[in-house]
Amino acid sequence: MTMKFVRSTMAVAGVATLALAMVGCSAAGGASSSAGSTEYTVWDPYPQHDASSDWAKRIDACGVDAGVTIKRTAYDSQSLTNQSLLAAQEGTAADVVLLDNPAVTTLADTGALNDMDSIGLDTSAIDPNLLGAGVLDGKTYGVPVGANTLALYYNKDILDAAGVDPATVKDWATLTAALQKVSTNGHKGITFAGFASEEGTFQFLPFFWGAGANLNKLDSTQAVSALTLWTDWVNQGLAPNSVITNSQNTTWEEFLTGDFGFVVNGTWQVNSASKAAFKTGYITIPAEAGGAAPAPTGGEFMVIPTQKDTARYDVSKKIVECMSTTAGQVKTADTFAYYIPATSAGQSALLVEHPELSVWVDAVKAAKGRTSDNLGANYPKISEQVYTAVQNALSGAMTPAEALKEAQAAAAAATTK
Amino acid sequence: MSHRRSWWKTGIGLVLTAVMLFPVYWMINVSFTKTSDLRDSPPNLFPFAPTLDGYTAVLSQQLPYLGTSLLIGLGTVLVTLVISAPAGYALAKLRLRGAAPLTFILLVAQMIPGVVMAMGFYAIYLNSGLLNTVGGLILADSTIAVPFGVLLFTAFMSGIPNELIQAATVDGAGPWRTFRSIILPVSRNSAITVSLFAFLWAWSDFIFASTLSRSGQFLPITLGIYKYIGNNTSQWNAIMATAVVASIPAAILLIVAQRYVAAGVTAGAVKD
Amino acid sequence: MTTLPVRVGAARPDAGGAVGTPAPLPPKQRSRRTSFGTNQWVALAFVAPLIAYLVIFYAFPLYRNIELSLHDYTPRAFVQGNAAFVGIENYVAVFGSKTFPKALANTALFTIVSIAFQFGIGLILAVFFRNNFRLNGVLRGLFLVPWLLPLIVSASTWSSMMNSDNGVINSALAVIGVAPVNWLTSPDLVLASVIIANIWLGIPFNLVVLYSGLQNIPEDLYEAASLDGANAWQKFWRITFPLLRPVSLITILLGLIYTLKVVDIIWIMTAGGPGDSSTTLATWSYREAFGTGNPDFSPAAAVGNVLILIALIFGFIYLRIQNRTEK
Repeated sequence: MTMKFVRSTMAVAGVATLALAMVGCSAAGGASSSAGSTEYTVWDPYPQHDASSDWAKRIDACGVDAGVTIKRTAYDSQSLTNQSLLAAQEGTAADVVLLDNPAVTTLADTGALNDMDSIGLDTSAIDPNLLGAGVLDGKTYGVPVGANTLALYYNKDILDAAGVDPATVKDWATLTAALQKVSTNGHKGITFAGFASEEGTFQFLPFFWGAGANLNKLDSTQAVSALTLWTDWVNQGLAPNSVITNSQNTTWEEFLTGDFGFVVNGTWQVNSASKAAFKTGYITIPAEAGGAAPAPTGGEFMVIPTQKDTARYDVSKKIVECMSTTAGQVKTADTFAYYIPATSAGQSALLVEHPELSVWVDAVKAAKGRTSDNLGANYPKISEQVYTAVQNALSGAMTPAEALKEAQAAAAAATTK
Repeated sequence: MSHRRSWWKTGIGLVLTAVMLFPVYWMINVSFTKTSDLRDSPPNLFPFAPTLDGYTAVLSQQLPYLGTSLLIGLGTVLVTLVISAPAGYALAKLRLRGAAPLTFILLVAQMIPGVVMAMGFYAIYLNSGLLNTVGGLILADSTIAVPFGVLLFTAFMSGIPNELIQAATVDGAGPWRTFRSIILPVSRNSAITVSLFAFLWAWSDFIFASTLSRSGQFLPITLGIYKYIGNNTSQWNAIMATAVVASIPAAILLIVAQRYVAAGVTAGAVKD
Repeated sequence: MTTLPVRVGAARPDAGGAVGTPAPLPPKQRSRRTSFGTNQWVALAFVAPLIAYLVIFYAFPLYRNIELSLHDYTPRAFVQGNAAFVGIENYVAVFGSKTFPKALANTALFTIVSIAFQFGIGLILAVFFRNNFRLNGVLRGLFLVPWLLPLIVSASTWSSMMNSDNGVINSALAVIGVAPVNWLTSPDLVLASVIIANIWLGIPFNLVVLYSGLQNIPEDLYEAASLDGANAWQKFWRITFPLLRPVSLITILLGLIYTLKVVDIIWIMTAGGPGDSSTTLATWSYREAFGTGNPDFSPAAAVGNVLILIALIFGFIYLRIQNRTEK
């Protein structure tokens, strides 16, 4: 009896252990890098580029130049931010990470990133407005791999039919007038992404900043005027109701139906625009009183997370440098078709190859980092309130003024904590 | 009763079913609609010019996700059965002391919101490296099914005549052998029901998948669909094609095991 | 019908303790006679994996959750592992938040309205399917489909159908001359929209359970009533309704507990928006923790724990009712 009991207990326990062990096995596989290893890890948010892609080959080549092999892992953008945070806590961070720029200061704030000075990486050639997203308390925590930003694409066929000359769109008043003409001519005026996510804020910022508003004060009259512009467009039928749930991809798909006069979208759609079934063009987003509105910069930063084995930094630095040379930046721009180099040298070199991108180079030069104004790690909290306010106003739940007032209160509460 | 009357009721039944299943029909319709026709207004009630683009997209992009989901589903079934069948036996037949509080705990366990569990798991997995692993997801998904499984097995096994167990004991079988060669075979139906639900729940889980396995290599099909929606694309044909494909296991189970489904729902809901 | 694992409806003591019975008193009389060397250790061995499992996968996450809610876990604190202990501060913040009354009201509305319609429609359908007609079984089977589909599938289908600009529902309305309705973007309508989708999801469950409950009402009761000249309506109120009461109560309470927890459908259709218009406690918690690029686990955990408390209250009501019906 005893024997049998023991056996049966063990059998039951054994099955359970087996189940756990099985699970434990599949748990392995972090990206930790042991001391002295010549394998270096790079994480990036470009899962669309597989191991055989030009991008992957470039990274490998940079590894060869630095005398090491590189193990690259791609995550989607938001996962990569989380993954980097977690890895920092576990001490299993990659040697080099390409991080979405608003996340850089958040991560830097946790102490998980090296500043470029201490690594000995020279960032002086990089346009300060593009580098801004990587600066926290006067220290620079990364190097932009390239930059993109937003502009207004238009459907030339529709504008022609409505008698709108895009060159006359100089400020908000002329833009709205153009939308009205398009609308009375039987088409939809404009579409944009007011989606409740970082994308919503990203798209709203050119208007927000274009009115002269500042992210430190969300309920300023300038801010209200920007949100009122958007809200009026929706209320007057110049923009569809779907902008409330639109992402940038959706707005682009809407635009491609050939039903819209304008769309707010980014550098990355240049190729797609040239392939559209109608003629397209683009202009910079105007500020309220005229001139180009500062648009937010998009794009990734190369960062070097802190490691226990500080001897690894030398090679990591070489890898980052390899990717950020002038030739390297132009190559990146070519590989992705939407990255404008972050240095003037790189920009000139790109324009030699692709003169048609000059509007975009200008736009990127005028662009502004989202986390600049020393918002740093507070930016995500403020951004959340911005897109919430956009949602509340566009849906009619609140007036623009009410929505922004509430957003400011919430942002203040969230950032003083 | 006259035939006329019964046909009249069949008519109503058909109408009701049609109304109820319209969204399902719509899903299939959209999955065959061309991207260029997707924004037609009014939308086409029938895909007159069907396209397989959506399905091509699924086959080229979503197959690994389907595989992952299958693996997770089967893993969850295994964990659930291994944990819940012996426990059900102990609770039903072995006169375990403390059975009452344990059953109570199992009941309470079912009431804990998935979000709360997900956060707890996240905090734990973060330190143990189980984040973004199939194993981690299997364990998390099994928490949906284990309490249900134990309670169902307990219910069923309580109905097994003690004489059967006695006879086995007289023949010299120990508790483990009794369980394995008498109880388990007799409980086949409840095991099927438990497996079926464990599989379906794991297959359709979104909360655990979206919190514990957001990145990289091992994404289940629900996240495959969500990726489309998350990018908020209007590629509805691809989304719906994935949805149709993701519904296939449910459809098969419905055809093959409808009896167990019904039994499971009622068992979960209605206590003697 | 062959064996169902568990019988439904009327109390059948001979079937022993059933799923969810809080205290399945050790199978009475008969098992007492048999003593096949029941050893507590053997019983423990069989139940040990479950206990280990419960401790690791329930108790520990719950403990971590409480811990999260009592500390201030910022991303920085997460990395450095030095979250400050803040006591009930997170709870104070949650209760004081503007979102709280809205989320609570939405949760209540979402749950109560969903359940009322799910149950009502489910009951009507169950009564209808009790009739004999051709294809009855097939159609009843088809009614299960919505329930078996992955939630994300149903939710995306509904959000595509409810799209303001090119959804099929608005097109149908246009045919009868109704202006487009902003199902998912109007703050006044969006909660109703997710409730509609949720009702649709819940009908099959209610139908199956109530149908099984109806099957257990003896046919001769109806025959007797017919002989007494009762009409269909009277039969429903005098026989069906009272005899179905125990099953109904439990269906509703179970529905309550499950509906309280719903995240997926709301999240996929509206992400709780616009603003907080369709935010419930569960989606709020999800949003704080995982829904933005900026994870805020501490308030999320606090909201989650509030939700557990509410679920527990209903849980206890459920147990009490069950105990009563068992007596």
